[in-house]
Amino acid sequence: MPSPPLPDFSSSVKLKYVKLGFRYIVNNFLTFLFVPVIISTILQFLRNGPDEILSLYNSLELDLIHILCSSFVLIFAMTVYFMSRPRRVYLIDYACFKPSPACRVPFASFMEHTRMICTDQKSVQFQTRILERSGLGEETCLPPANHYIPPKPTMEASRAEAELVIFSAIDDLVKKTGLKPKDIDILVVNCSLFSPTPSLSAMIVNKYKLRSNLKSFNLSGMGCSAGLLSIDLARDLLQVYPGSNALVISTEIITPNFYKGNRRDMLLPNCLFRMGAAAILLSNKRRDASRSKYRLLHVVRTHKGADDRAYRCVYQEEDSDGHCGISLSKDLMAIAGDALKSNITTIGPLVLPMSEQLLFFFTLVGRKLINPKWRPYIPDFKQAFEHFCIHAGGRAVIDELQKNLQLSAEHVEASRMTLHRFGNTSSSSLWYELNYIESKGRMRRGDRVWQIGFGSGFKCNSAVWKCLRTVKAPVDGPWEECIERYPVEIPEIVKL
Amino acid sequence: MELLAILTTLLLLYPLYIIIYKSFKHKYSTNCYLVDYVCFKPSADRKITTQMAGEIMERNETLGLSEYKFLLKVIVSSGIGEETYGPRNIIDGREESATLNDAIGEMDEFINTSVGELFAKTGISPCDVDVLVVNVSTFSPAPSIASRIIHRYGMRDDVKSFNLSAMGCSATLIAIDLVNNIFKLGKKTLAVVVTSESISPNWYSGNNKSMMLGNCLFRSGGSVMLLTNDPAMRARAKMRLKCLIRTHIGSYDDAYNCAVQKEDDAGRVGVHLSKELPKAVVRAFKENLKRLAPKILPVRELVAYMYYTIKRKVIKPARKANVAINFRSGVDHFCLHTGGTAVIDAIGTALGLNQYDVEPARMTLHRWGNTSASSIWYVLAYMEAKKRLRKGDGVLMLSFGSGLKCNSCMWIVNRDLEDLDVWEDCIKHYPPQTLINPYIKKFGWINENTEETFDREERRKSIRKVPVN
Repeated sequence: MPSPPLPDFSSSVKLKYVKLGFRYIVNNFLTFLFVPVIISTILQFLRNGPDEILSLYNSLELDLIHILCSSFVLIFAMTVYFMSRPRRVYLIDYACFKPSPACRVPFASFMEHTRMICTDQKSVQFQTRILERSGLGEETCLPPANHYIPPKPTMEASRAEAELVIFSAIDDLVKKTGLKPKDIDILVVNCSLFSPTPSLSAMIVNKYKLRSNLKSFNLSGMGCSAGLLSIDLARDLLQVYPGSNALVISTEIITPNFYKGNRRDMLLPNCLFRMGAAAILLSNKRRDASRSKYRLLHVVRTHKGADDRAYRCVYQEEDSDGHCGISLSKDLMAIAGDALKSNITTIGPLVLPMSEQLLFFFTLVGRKLINPKWRPYIPDFKQAFEHFCIHAGGRAVIDELQKNLQLSAEHVEASRMTLHRFGNTSSSSLWYELNYIESKGRMRRGDRVWQIGFGSGFKCNSAVWKCLRTVKAPVDGPWEECIERYPVEIPEIVKL
Repeated sequence: MELLAILTTLLLLYPLYIIIYKSFKHKYSTNCYLVDYVCFKPSADRKITTQMAGEIMERNETLGLSEYKFLLKVIVSSGIGEETYGPRNIIDGREESATLNDAIGEMDEFINTSVGELFAKTGISPCDVDVLVVNVSTFSPAPSIASRIIHRYGMRDDVKSFNLSAMGCSATLIAIDLVNNIFKLGKKTLAVVVTSESISPNWYSGNNKSMMLGNCLFRSGGSVMLLTNDPAMRARAKMRLKCLIRTHIGSYDDAYNCAVQKEDDAGRVGVHLSKELPKAVVRAFKENLKRLAPKILPVRELVAYMYYTIKRKVIKPARKANVAINFRSGVDHFCLHTGGTAVIDAIGTALGLNQYDVEPARMTLHRWGNTSASSIWYVLAYMEAKKRLRKGDGVLMLSFGSGLKCNSCMWIVNRDLEDLDVWEDCIKHYPPQTLINPYIKKFGWINENTEETFDREERRKSIRKVPVN
């Protein structure tokens, strides 16, 4: 969707300054209205003089009852207003799994293993090309079972990976927040491609001895956008239960999903998906507001499953040899763009400042009534958000979104660097990206963050957070040891 | 000053009006109504008879005599009849090499019929659905089954879908809990809950006794429910949710390890059921009852219980007999999870139920087998078909699941219910005169054989000679 924002008037006037002025006036409209009123009131007071004002006051004949009633009414109305607001959801803190260097898969290892496991030379060449252009770095990690030749995807190994990533993340979170496991009221776990019996949520209940009247939910099969889906569910539950907190776990277990065949569209996940997990603590208690990092403003979910192409975009199936894998269609970028557009139409009015909304509205009206040839106006989301966390699904996804939303390199830096250092960790990647921004010392109080996730189905989910306190670097987390080296220059093709 | 007084009064009344209006609206628009539900009846070519079950068991090469005996004992005492349904790949002989397409096909057969049936029955269009919750415990492909339904029926793009997985046989009540919580937000919502179980990919092909029970007991089934919190649909709703209690005792190691999916010594995946299962179930049940009883029993029953407990503990401490609560004072009908005859009997005894109360669960087990999470809906359908559900009756649903969870909920019947639905063709034959298991007749020979005399080949030949009923 590349296009100039407005029809071409550049010959007549300096467009940039006009736009700036328009933006300033519309966004601060109330101030512009208010200031003249205040000034005139003050002038009136000064003109009348203090004696006149005193006599005005005396003529009111106020007595105790009137004052009491009016103040009572005011207090009453304000109480009703505050009580009927939806409960605020605070993010106290979150922790991401920090993989051990022993699990690293540098390019050389990956290619060597691939050459030994894969029988088809063409597949090996294809995977080499993918890895060269993937945007991944040399420090991404695979679980221990995948380091075997061939990988050993047993149920026991899958459970071991789940325990490793989830328990580390929760232990880190407990250390950071002082959370007592017995205090957890709601538990939501999302892991797309591994759901053993008993569920991962039951595994967490067992390990941390959570209470028996806990509300637990185990979501599965919902793709890389399931993290934001879980946040949405936790938010709804926190509206219903006052004074509670919720633990949300987002992860993807890689062990059972190694694709053994030769179909190209199914080999991509082998190259891109890596180990990761995130544990997030949410609360709706007012006393947690002072120690929370973020407050949840909006979550918007879009599901394009009704459309055939979108539905088949990310599809798990068996190839002709009976090997199970996830095929990614060539239309992925176009469909992601479409899903994002739908999501934006809902979230735009909620977050964009008035100036952008008016511009969009005027262009729309203009296209309908005056001239259909006007290019549609793409609202400038940089006005609404300071930071962007785009799901690190792959280099192409980040490129596409950067183009669609007209973002600068710095805005997508968190996504690109997360892809480089951790690979595609599926639903937890958004949290690694947020941690990057914090580790770089860029997160200030009042900043707004937009997290966008895409997943099979085809879903596009986004969440908007507002930062409540400036996060001082250095930050405890997966980026601790390597943040000084970032950002790195990621070449188009890494020659292997 | 008159004006000021009037103005003050008006300003005072306005927030008061807002508060009263909001609390009424909240009270009326946060009820969970069950508008209707549909149970899945697989096609007749998927029926598994006594003979077929025996043959399927025989196909497992790894079974020795003691395992075979154990299996037949389980089948004989399971309470399952001749008309239960199984997945196609098992009937076709491919139980050990199930493909992804088999599992998806099994789900598709259910989704393509039952969900459409529900929409047709209630007159709702798929575009009106706001929330979709799917729970299928043992199978979660990508895209999820929720996405499959959205795709198949063309639902809106802002539908809230949730795909719950691995939450065991009690997951249907977890799905209802999720929907109920969304209803409490106050906005008018229409929700569809889809419950089923996937049997195709979960056949255990080894010979570990603790893992073979799943093979014998689980059968194909599913149900789809339509729920809403819209007061306008109250008149057509079948039932209203009164309360829902969830208990999770996974913090106890023995309870957590009761039902675990893992590999046996030969590397074959199956669900291991430990010997501690009955004890753990009882503990979970007690925990759940502790929280459920105060909500569903009438006050006099609770007071009587307190009086007798105090009397027993303080006044006459020698008395050993446990004071029993009469649950039938607060509940008229009991939907028990059809986990097996032993489970139903145990719960029946614990709750002090008589034959009439456990009949629906027993008959459901006989006709449909253990359809896992959806079984309580078949039990409910039986009660409805037998015209037992009258306006104002209380229905208690109780189910257990891996983890270990015990979930229960209480519905109040909204109007006299008479739908025959899935029991239409056979309700006249229930309850049958005898429940003698035909397996006993056919497989009683196993007790006469020993390891030496048991000859697999001979047995196979004789199976083929027996005529099909």
